[in-house]
Amino acid sequence: MKKLAILPIAALIGLLFLQANPKPEADTVLAFHPEAPALPAEVKAIVQQKCYGCHNANSKNEKGKAKLDWDALEAAKKSKALASMGKIKETLEEGSMPPAKFLESNPDKKLTAEEAATLMQWSTGKKK
Amino acid sequence: MKPWQYLIGGLAVIGIAIQLIPNELPVVETNNPDDLIGSGVVEGEVAGILKSACYDCHSNETKYPWYSYVAPVSWLVAKDIREGREELNFSTWQQYDMMEKLEKLDDIAIEVGEGEMPMKIYTYIHSEAKLTDAQRQLIITWTEATMDVVAEEEETEESVE
Repeated sequence: MKKLAILPIAALIGLLFLQANPKPEADTVLAFHPEAPALPAEVKAIVQQKCYGCHNANSKNEKGKAKLDWDALEAAKKSKALASMGKIKETLEEGSMPPAKFLESNPDKKLTAEEAATLMQWSTGKKK
Repeated sequence: MKPWQYLIGGLAVIGIAIQLIPNELPVVETNNPDDLIGSGVVEGEVAGILKSACYDCHSNETKYPWYSYVAPVSWLVAKDIREGREELNFSTWQQYDMMEKLEKLDDIAIEVGEGEMPMKIYTYIHSEAKLTDAQRQLIITWTEATMDVVAEEEETEESVE
């Protein structure tokens, strides 16, 4: 009889252990980068199409990679990301990217006024 | 007179003549209440490195050696210091807004990390401004920590407003 009484207690203790289990993977990753400003989808789409070719972690364009790496930016902590966004904003204001020379052979990579405005708004916007 | 004497004489005349071309060296100002050093974000060794390796061009406290008053060196010195202060002036640090501070700190890390700064032509003469790899790393670590502080400060200010 006494042994049977142990069962519900054991079950309770078991439940407590389950509670202490780590959260699912996705939540943990978010918890590690709670400050990383996520790239809005519309910004990401433009970047993917017009910028990412040179500005990525495996770029053969060393200068482009050194100046800006979108892969690194997405993983960067807030202070670093803000600094990059500030520089992106300046570049947009100057209209110096994508470079004129590159556009000569890739005219389709030119940012439309609308795209430039979207990027500008994102790069200016304060973090949420 | 022999031809080489004419040549030396001619060079001497040109050398003296170019001294008369007006050239203004950027002014020195030692009282800078908005200076980076003293603002609380830098001290000790890093402050010392910045002062000895960067402040000649990136502050209002330029120390002009005698030859910087002699043309044509004076032209180069004037141009480099003018551009240096425009790009980054530690003497007016606290007048920069948060984004400017972050961008400048990030640029410092990049320029110093890649060995672009201090400029070769400067360290050639000012050997005390030559940075070791350890010193470069120290600067980079400092910029990263300070960027966090700057971004954090802004957040606090916003929540107060």
